[in-house]
Amino acid sequence: MFDNVLTYQRYSENTIQMATKVLAIDDESGFTRLLKLNLEKNGEYEVRVENDSSLAQTAAREFKPDVILLDLVMPGLDGGDVSALFQGDPLLKDIPIIMLTALVSQGETSEDAVAIAGGRPVLPKPVKMETLTACIHEVLDAAAE
Amino acid sequence: MGHANGIKTQKISRGKKKKPSPSSRPRKKASLSYLQSVIDNLPVALFAKDVTDDFRFILWNKKQESITTLPREKALGKRDHEIFSAESADYFREVDEAVVKRGKIAEIPEEIIDTEEGGEVYLRTVKVPIQDSETGHSLLIGISEDITDRVKAREQLERLNQNLSEKNRELESTQLQLIQAEKLESIGRLAAGVAHEVKNPLALLLMGVEYISSGIDPDDPNLEVILSEMNEAIERADQIVRGLVDFSSDRQLTREETDLQPLIEHVLLMTRHELTRGSVKVSAKFQKDLPKPLLDSRKFEQVLINLILNAIHAMAESDNASELSIKVTSKTLDKVELNEGARTARRFRKGDTVIYIDVKDTGTGISKKNLEKIFDPFFTTKATGHGTGLGLSVVRKIVELHDGEISIRNRLITEGAHARITLVAPRRDG
Ligand SMILES: Nc1ncnc2c1ncn2[C@@H]1O[C@H](COP(=O)(O)OP(=O)(O)O)[C@@H](O)[C@H]1O
Ligand SMILES: [Mg+2]
Repeated sequence: MFDNVLTYQRYSENTIQMATKVLAIDDESGFTRLLKLNLEKNGEYEVRVENDSSLAQTAAREFKPDVILLDLVMPGLDGGDVSALFQGDPLLKDIPIIMLTALVSQGETSEDAVAIAGGRPVLPKPVKMETLTACIHEVLDAAAE
Repeated sequence: MGHANGIKTQKISRGKKKKPSPSSRPRKKASLSYLQSVIDNLPVALFAKDVTDDFRFILWNKKQESITTLPREKALGKRDHEIFSAESADYFREVDEAVVKRGKIAEIPEEIIDTEEGGEVYLRTVKVPIQDSETGHSLLIGISEDITDRVKAREQLERLNQNLSEKNRELESTQLQLIQAEKLESIGRLAAGVAHEVKNPLALLLMGVEYISSGIDPDDPNLEVILSEMNEAIERADQIVRGLVDFSSDRQLTREETDLQPLIEHVLLMTRHELTRGSVKVSAKFQKDLPKPLLDSRKFEQVLINLILNAIHAMAESDNASELSIKVTSKTLDKVELNEGARTARRFRKGDTVIYIDVKDTGTGISKKNLEKIFDPFFTTKATGHGTGLGLSVVRKIVELHDGEISIRNRLITEGAHARITLVAPRRDG
């Protein structure tokens, strides 16, 4: 574990431009704050948080993320609306989206097999960092092909 | 015999005051038998006792015979103790002596005598003390009315009444059960939302745990933020779970002075998920220094949850922006207001301090035709599985159990419904 941290730190020092950009869209500000701290801890990720879904499109255009984490249940535009909006935006439609939701439970999605809804992976909340980062890697690999 | 004697003396004494005529003798005889038949045909029991002769009976008419089931021959010349039970006889003697002593007519509204055949008869008796001027004897006339039927009817009525209040209590407990059943139903509707609301803090907690378990640097400035976020999350999850557990517990109605603001905030927390899902903008306003009404807070939460869920449903059906407004105000009534929407009798008096809880939505509103029926049990416009139609009937029952009133009408200017609960603040004496 400790070794990993060192490796990542070295990795980030050398390739600071290469950090994966993650946009987290979720109205739970406490959750996104800690998610950001966790993802950025090792320098592998650069995270931008947007707690207001109505500002998500602007934030995404500005930040140009590599991957988007999108909460499903939000006031105003919900995850489905945002996803549809991005799908219709030529600048955003190719950015992979991972849905996060407290609506499905662990039982419905097994740890390694991620549920797919509308062609998008859905991760249940609470989610382990390990599952989340594995999922991010996977969608990035798939997008690179 | 004695009784004829009594009548005779009285008659004679009166006759004597008028001028006696020579022809009075045969007429007197005719008169006496006429009088005897009148006495026997009276619908009331008539008897007389010779006080001077140790209260022996000297008159005993037909009705008295039938009431006591004791023939005249067995009563005349006897004292109470020889024909009634010792207990009754003692009582009669006591009353008789008191009446004679007072020298005034007396009424005994209800007394019981035992009949020869072992039954009981209820009587209303008037006793009149008189003086036989001819013999100098003091007499006591008794006139009794058989009120057994009346007393029996009254007793039956009392029994019925008791039965009725028993049934009422049963009904009340059934109603409480219904309230409980409806509550379980609304818990079912809330459960998914509650799970969601609990999983969010759990997700945060897991994030915190993972951050910490990957190695702690005591100088890490994030640590403090993380720990306080985690604390908050635990509290939030705890509140929601506890709320649901409290809410589902079945208890009798126990009312205590309750602060409405935290209660309503708690309700908004329990319905947060539904509100978020429906993109409902919520505003809650509380007047300063609100009095505290006497509430069973769990039952009263059920009222507000039902109103809020109804509002959310109605707003989901409408294209308007969803806005829920809750306002709590209070005022002292300087006159009794008439509220055409309310079907119940006025519960509030001039000088009462009332509390209004207004819940307004921007939903579809309610058609005039449906407005009359919304409080009826099982009235619903929702598809099976989406509504039981019990919500508002339970709401009204609970509000009534709190001596309050509820009215629901359409908003006047904008589209939507407006529910108003009126409660009365505890009356302060002095
Ligand atoms: N805020 C509201 N706006 C519009 N209609 C309402 C509102 N509240 C209640 N109603 C109407 O009253 C009916 C009865 O409500 P309720 O007794 O709570 O039963 P249910 O919600 O299960 O249908 C509803 O089906 C709906 O038609
Ligand atoms: Mg309802």
